[in-house]
Amino acid sequence: MEIAIGIMLCGCALGAGIAMIAGIGPGIGEGNAVAKACEAIGRQPESKSAVTSTLIMGCALAETTGLYALVIALLLILLAPGRFVDILVAAVK
Amino acid sequence: MKRIDPTVIAETRYVAAFVAILSVLLQAVFLIIGKWDITVLLGNILSALVAIVNFFLLGVTVTKAMTKDEKDMGAYMKLSKTYRFLMVILICGLGIYFKCFNDIAVIVPLFFPNVAIFIRGFKLKNQTTSEGGEQNAV
Repeated sequence: MEIAIGIMLCGCALGAGIAMIAGIGPGIGEGNAVAKACEAIGRQPESKSAVTSTLIMGCALAETTGLYALVIALLLILLAPGRFVDILVAAVK
Repeated sequence: MKRIDPTVIAETRYVAAFVAILSVLLQAVFLIIGKWDITVLLGNILSALVAIVNFFLLGVTVTKAMTKDEKDMGAYMKLSKTYRFLMVILICGLGIYFKCFNDIAVIVPLFFPNVAIFIRGFKLKNQTTSEGGEQNAV
C-alpha cells in the first residue's frame, strides 16, 4: 500500500515537472516578439502605440500556454495526490 | 517613479473591465448550479486580481524591454516572466491549498484576460473587414 502511494506521489511530482517544461516556450517567444516589435517601431516610429498595444496582447496570449502548464502542475501537486490516495484506499477496502 | 505608458494603462483597463464582467458571469453560473458560497467569491476575487496584476506587469515589462538592447531584451522578458509566474504560483497555490477559496473559482479567472484578447481580436478583424482594409490590401 505504501509503495503504491509512493509511486502515485512520484508520478504526480514527475507529471508536474514535465508540465512546467511548457513554461520555457513563452519566455523565448516573448523575447523574439519584443525584438521584432522594436524593429517595426524603428522602421515606423509613428506606429509605436499600435505596435505596443498589439505586442502586449500577443505576449499575453503567448503566456496562455505557460498558464495552462502552471495550472496542471498546481493541480498535480496540490489536489491530485489527495484524491488519488482516497481512490486507492477506497479500492483496497 | 517613472511614468507608465498610456497604452499599458488603456489595455489594462480594457482587460480589467472584461475580467470583472466574466467574474460576474462565473458567479452567476455558480448561483444557477446551486454551488455558490462565499469561498467562490473569495477565490474569484483573488484570482481576478492576480490576472489583472499579471497583465499590467506584462505591459510594463514589454514597454521597458523595448528601451533595452536587443541582447538584453530576451533575458529581461524571461526574467520578468519567471517572477510573474512565481507570483501566480504562490498566490494561486495558496488559493488552492487553503479551503477558504474555491479551487475552480481560483483557476478559471486566470484565463479571463485571454478571453478578452480573443474577443478583441475578433472585433478588430470585423472592423478591418467592414472597412475593406484586407480587400484594399489585396
